[in-house]
Amino acid sequence: MKKLAIFFIAVFCAALVFYYTAFALNRTEGYAGKNTLTVYNWGDYIDPALIKKFEKQTGIKVIYQTFDSNEAMMAKIAQGGTTFDVAVPSEYAVSKMKEDGLLIPLDHAKLPNLKYINPRFLNLSFDPGNRYSVPYFWGTVGIVYNPSMLGGKKITSWNDLWDPDLRNQILLVDGAREVIGMGLNSLHYSLNDTNKQHLRQAKEKLDRLVPNVKAIVGDEIKMLLANEEAAIGVVWSGDAAEIISENDKLDYVVPKEGSNLWFDNMVIPKTAKNIEGAHKFINFMLDPKNAAQNAEYVGYSTPNEKALDYMPKEITEDKRFYPDFDSIGNLEVYKNLGKRMLAYYNELFLEFKMHRK
Amino acid sequence: MQSSHKWGKAYLAVVFVILYLPIGYLIYYSFNKGGTMHDFSGVTLDWYKEVLHDTRLWIIVLNTITIALLSAAISTILGVIGALAIYYVKSQQVKQILLTLNNVLIVSPDVIIGASFLILFTMIGIQLGFTSVLLSHIAFSVPIVVLMVLPKLQEMSPTLIDAARDLGANQWDVLTKVILPYITPGIFAGFFMALTYSLDDFAVTFFVTGNDFSTLSVEIYSRARQGISLSINALSALLFILTLALVTGYYFISRRSGMLGVGGRRR
Repeated sequence: MKKLAIFFIAVFCAALVFYYTAFALNRTEGYAGKNTLTVYNWGDYIDPALIKKFEKQTGIKVIYQTFDSNEAMMAKIAQGGTTFDVAVPSEYAVSKMKEDGLLIPLDHAKLPNLKYINPRFLNLSFDPGNRYSVPYFWGTVGIVYNPSMLGGKKITSWNDLWDPDLRNQILLVDGAREVIGMGLNSLHYSLNDTNKQHLRQAKEKLDRLVPNVKAIVGDEIKMLLANEEAAIGVVWSGDAAEIISENDKLDYVVPKEGSNLWFDNMVIPKTAKNIEGAHKFINFMLDPKNAAQNAEYVGYSTPNEKALDYMPKEITEDKRFYPDFDSIGNLEVYKNLGKRMLAYYNELFLEFKMHRK
Repeated sequence: MQSSHKWGKAYLAVVFVILYLPIGYLIYYSFNKGGTMHDFSGVTLDWYKEVLHDTRLWIIVLNTITIALLSAAISTILGVIGALAIYYVKSQQVKQILLTLNNVLIVSPDVIIGASFLILFTMIGIQLGFTSVLLSHIAFSVPIVVLMVLPKLQEMSPTLIDAARDLGANQWDVLTKVILPYITPGIFAGFFMALTYSLDDFAVTFFVTGNDFSTLSVEIYSRARQGISLSINALSALLFILTLALVTGYYFISRRSGMLGVGGRRR
């Protein structure tokens, strides 16, 4: 009994010491003050030096919190009980959050640096007039391939994937919109097509791809491709950049029939406590020099046109990540097709997944 | 006889290699200059430097340990009380119902527990942060402690209590001088189980963290989108060494004092 009592008292004391140490560290770092700003972003999706710079410039202390999926982030914001001032959802999450009333409109007068964003990336279907969101990074869906495993063969289009020589060589991401979209694009339809006949056609075409598909996987697709477990993968460009940085034998291409254009955007959720600071932060990230520094650190494509002047040529002239919009047919953003259409997409995708070789 | 003994040793060795090899791999690459988990291109201590300078990460580590220690201690106390209550229940049927309710909590998926806690806390109006994480960790650790302590109670001979009563012990004496010393190994086992559960829990914690309070597993998961930097390897190495030191220290202390630890023996 005495031993137990001593043990538990020791544990509580140790916990107290740890708690106090964390508290003291928090205070010396200035996280416990009044003038703070909580940024809710994907993990490691900003250059930490920029946070320091922002703190120096404005005297606002940034608390950086992270999430690992749009759905989880939306759940947290919808529930309340948190004080996120800035969040970074993907474009489809922006339209969903807007519908659910989770966003505060932006005051464009406080965002003078908005003018540096390439107009091509403004006023898109998921947020007309950019009332609620400002693009942070953008990218495409395309094909990562390993020329050394394909005997030097080049891949340029979706239709190249149906080549019978590629048996069991392709990895697909586990996303209904991505895979069905690829089927639609390969038939030169729009990836927001709602014509059921077209969708059936696309699905039948995908069924013919099955012998070439090795697996349909989630996030581990990056590791599998970098480790040369498969020669080809259909991925988002951000993942492609990471895969190529791990294994430079691989290459990435945006298929010429067209593809999806995705965006991660800065928004102010309704949980915000420091709306003034949130505008300051968004405007700070829109500053061309800062956007350039961030794009170099993260390795994704920046929508900031002026920032390209401050970045090395080999990055900005890389057609894989800054594709030429004139040469690629139709790069489209996913439109919100409504619940019923989305269910139909999911159903087709499920049928495709169950299709036997 | 001799040969089977040898096989046993070999089998044990294989199991340990399988268990420790990934950890070794992780630590090995924490010295990699190349910055990835393959192609070792030279030894560097940069990742360790990076970790030591990352104040935010250390705050998160301290948070994680604080939550683990507190939730393990509190849930152990609650769990022992619960186990005693279940033990003293006379009717078999009620006992079964209580045990089943306890087991349901153990097998429910973390995601469901986490989501329901999130709804509960926001309904009551508890701010998400340290308190909400601590409460939910205590909640999912209690059933485990109960499960660890109950068998010890059941294997204790009831005549021990009768004997103590006959010798003039009151309720309190029976509890502190007979029952608790007997179930001490179970209590420690429960405590350490709760500790490990709390340290590596991701799903529940993710739902109930908020307001600049985060734990290590949530932080590491959310870094995964960008590829996890080797500084996390370095941190894992440091924590692994710390754990080893603690376990070795505990072993020597318990050997010296003959303290009744987990699976220890009484002198």
